[in-house]
Amino acid sequence: MTETQVPPTPVNGREERGESLPARVLRVALTERVVLLAVLLVVVVVWFRVLGDGGYLVAPYDVRYLGNALESMVPFALLAMAELFVIVSGRGGIDLSVGAIVSLAGMVFGLTVGVWGWPLVPSVVACIAVGALLGAVNGALVAYLRFPALIATLATYYAYSSIALVSNANAPISTPPVVALHGLTRNVDLPLLPPVPLHVFTILLPCAVLAWVLLSRSTYGRSLYAVGTNDVAAGYATQRVTRTRFSAYVISGLLSGVVALVTVAQFASARPDAGTVGNGMALPAITVAVLGGVAIQGGIGRVGGVLVAALLVTWLNAGMLLAFEGSEGSRYQLLALGLVLVLSALLNTLALRRYGRLS
Amino acid sequence: MTATATAPKQVRRRRRVRAIEGQELALIAVTGLLWVVLSVATDTFLTSGNIQNILFTVAPIALIGIGMTAVIVTAGIDVSVGSQAAVVMVVIALLVRDAGLAFVPALAVAIVSGLVLGAVNGLLVAYGGIHPIIVTFGTLNIYRFVALQIFGSEQVAGVPGTFSPIGGGAEGRLLGVPTAWWLTLVLAAGMWAYMRFWATGRHLYAVGGDALAARLAGVRVRRRQISAYVLTGACVGLAACVLIGSGGLVQQNVGSGLELRVIAAVVIGGTSIIGGRGTVLGTLLGALLVGTVTSAVTLLSWPSELTQLFIGLFILVAVGVDLLRERRRSTR
Repeated sequence: MTETQVPPTPVNGREERGESLPARVLRVALTERVVLLAVLLVVVVVWFRVLGDGGYLVAPYDVRYLGNALESMVPFALLAMAELFVIVSGRGGIDLSVGAIVSLAGMVFGLTVGVWGWPLVPSVVACIAVGALLGAVNGALVAYLRFPALIATLATYYAYSSIALVSNANAPISTPPVVALHGLTRNVDLPLLPPVPLHVFTILLPCAVLAWVLLSRSTYGRSLYAVGTNDVAAGYATQRVTRTRFSAYVISGLLSGVVALVTVAQFASARPDAGTVGNGMALPAITVAVLGGVAIQGGIGRVGGVLVAALLVTWLNAGMLLAFEGSEGSRYQLLALGLVLVLSALLNTLALRRYGRLS
Repeated sequence: MTATATAPKQVRRRRRVRAIEGQELALIAVTGLLWVVLSVATDTFLTSGNIQNILFTVAPIALIGIGMTAVIVTAGIDVSVGSQAAVVMVVIALLVRDAGLAFVPALAVAIVSGLVLGAVNGLLVAYGGIHPIIVTFGTLNIYRFVALQIFGSEQVAGVPGTFSPIGGGAEGRLLGVPTAWWLTLVLAAGMWAYMRFWATGRHLYAVGGDALAARLAGVRVRRRQISAYVLTGACVGLAACVLIGSGGLVQQNVGSGLELRVIAAVVIGGTSIIGGRGTVLGTLLGALLVGTVTSAVTLLSWPSELTQLFIGLFILVAVGVDLLRERRRSTR
């Protein structure tokens, strides 16, 4: 935290002009997270292509496979963006409950569209509204009642996932109207490109553009970064600290509601444990966010970095599934996820210590 | 204690010297009330079998909670304990089954392997400059990988009853109370005394209150942080033996979600997640409350998923009450 508050030294400009090429490369790699991630992305893809050409993979790691793999990127990219808003909002901001919100909002969607027979549009609105509402509960606890975010969202993680499980007596909803939604995630054929899942264009890209506009091109975004960097100073600068922080959690819940729609369509079924089974969805989302250059201290992080990080993790995971037979691939995914998280956090610390800034 | 206490600490000491604090009294009251209500509402709650069962199932959570209290008091957190438990359990389950290790050496192996896993966390937190939640989220995955790798895609079946002296069966009881619970009580008492009366124990609070100030006051901050994570690892090692208990089957998903229950117990016990405040006694009571609620939901034949809802609500109430007290204290 102290590192972020150190103002860039006045000699910084002169240093940058006078530094040698290796030093400059290192600085850009450490502080411009998107550059580093793009390099890593190329390394990963080339590496698996080489492995594939050498016959070490169980299936070809080709463009078609990479296009298909984007399907699993959508939920994690969206949730990582949710974590981006929350973590940037500062004061230990984190949202452990996103997976539970996905489960609960998904069950609401399943119930409205599949059991009560609502038309599609009102059910979609209901699902996203429930997500936003659950996020608002988190936000009220953290921003207005000043609960530590970690504990507040841990508690709501418990509560939401429990309600999701109880809502339909622990059974998934896969009635015909829900199954019909699977068409939303079908692959679309594009000229010159491999088939790509439809919801990359209908859901992920619009959300990413909106998030980018909100964070980088709006007064709200400036206010959020200010609050996350130093909320006392932001308060003196007439920012509405509490309301800004509250809204970050609402946006996180909203995005989780969108993810709920996506997962219901993907599985053609509303599962009560969709976002909480295994390690849940929150953990990979936080990993992707941190890898994308979001500093856990708050006030630092960009949409672009998060998106490239999500792509990197997706294609790395997809490659590892091919590199091993049976369940071993998913096992190594755990290792990679853990190592990537710790190493990228180490990198963030290093960049902040050395250059006083990040991304 | 008096020898080490300096003049400004005198005021704090008077408050701290009380054996039981407000939150702990409230916890005792709530748990007591629950016990009374449950005894009246069901025939099965107040039976020795059920109480023994509650104490036995609470023991691993409370054991790990002892270490976790120290970690959270230093303003840290350890979400990797579930995966640590999985690693230790599969290691000793295989050793006990295939190498025929006896009780004491197996216990030693468990504690040492727990120590090592905890030390990795501690070193990364103290020297890596990474936020503890990120470190332990990372090691949660890495340790789970290690455990699954040792499992080798099959569960460990037919584990012998080497650990039945601390297991859940009749062999694992002393004076009608599960040995695991006695173990927990002894360790908790030791830790309680350490954190209250030893200089290095007090330093844990100093680190959590303000690490920079603690360092300037001569506290070895990094060493205290590492010691807290190492202690947690050792506690996980012990808890893993209790979890194996009378033997049988060790499945691949062992320990997943354990961390959340432990953290819930610690937080319900009044330990502040921001660091600097909390007691082992509170954690013990918090674990007992969680165990009582779990048992209650089962006995009242409510859907077992409701347990989590209640745990979540208890966390919110406990932290809310704590925040209120803190606010009143700071305005006074």
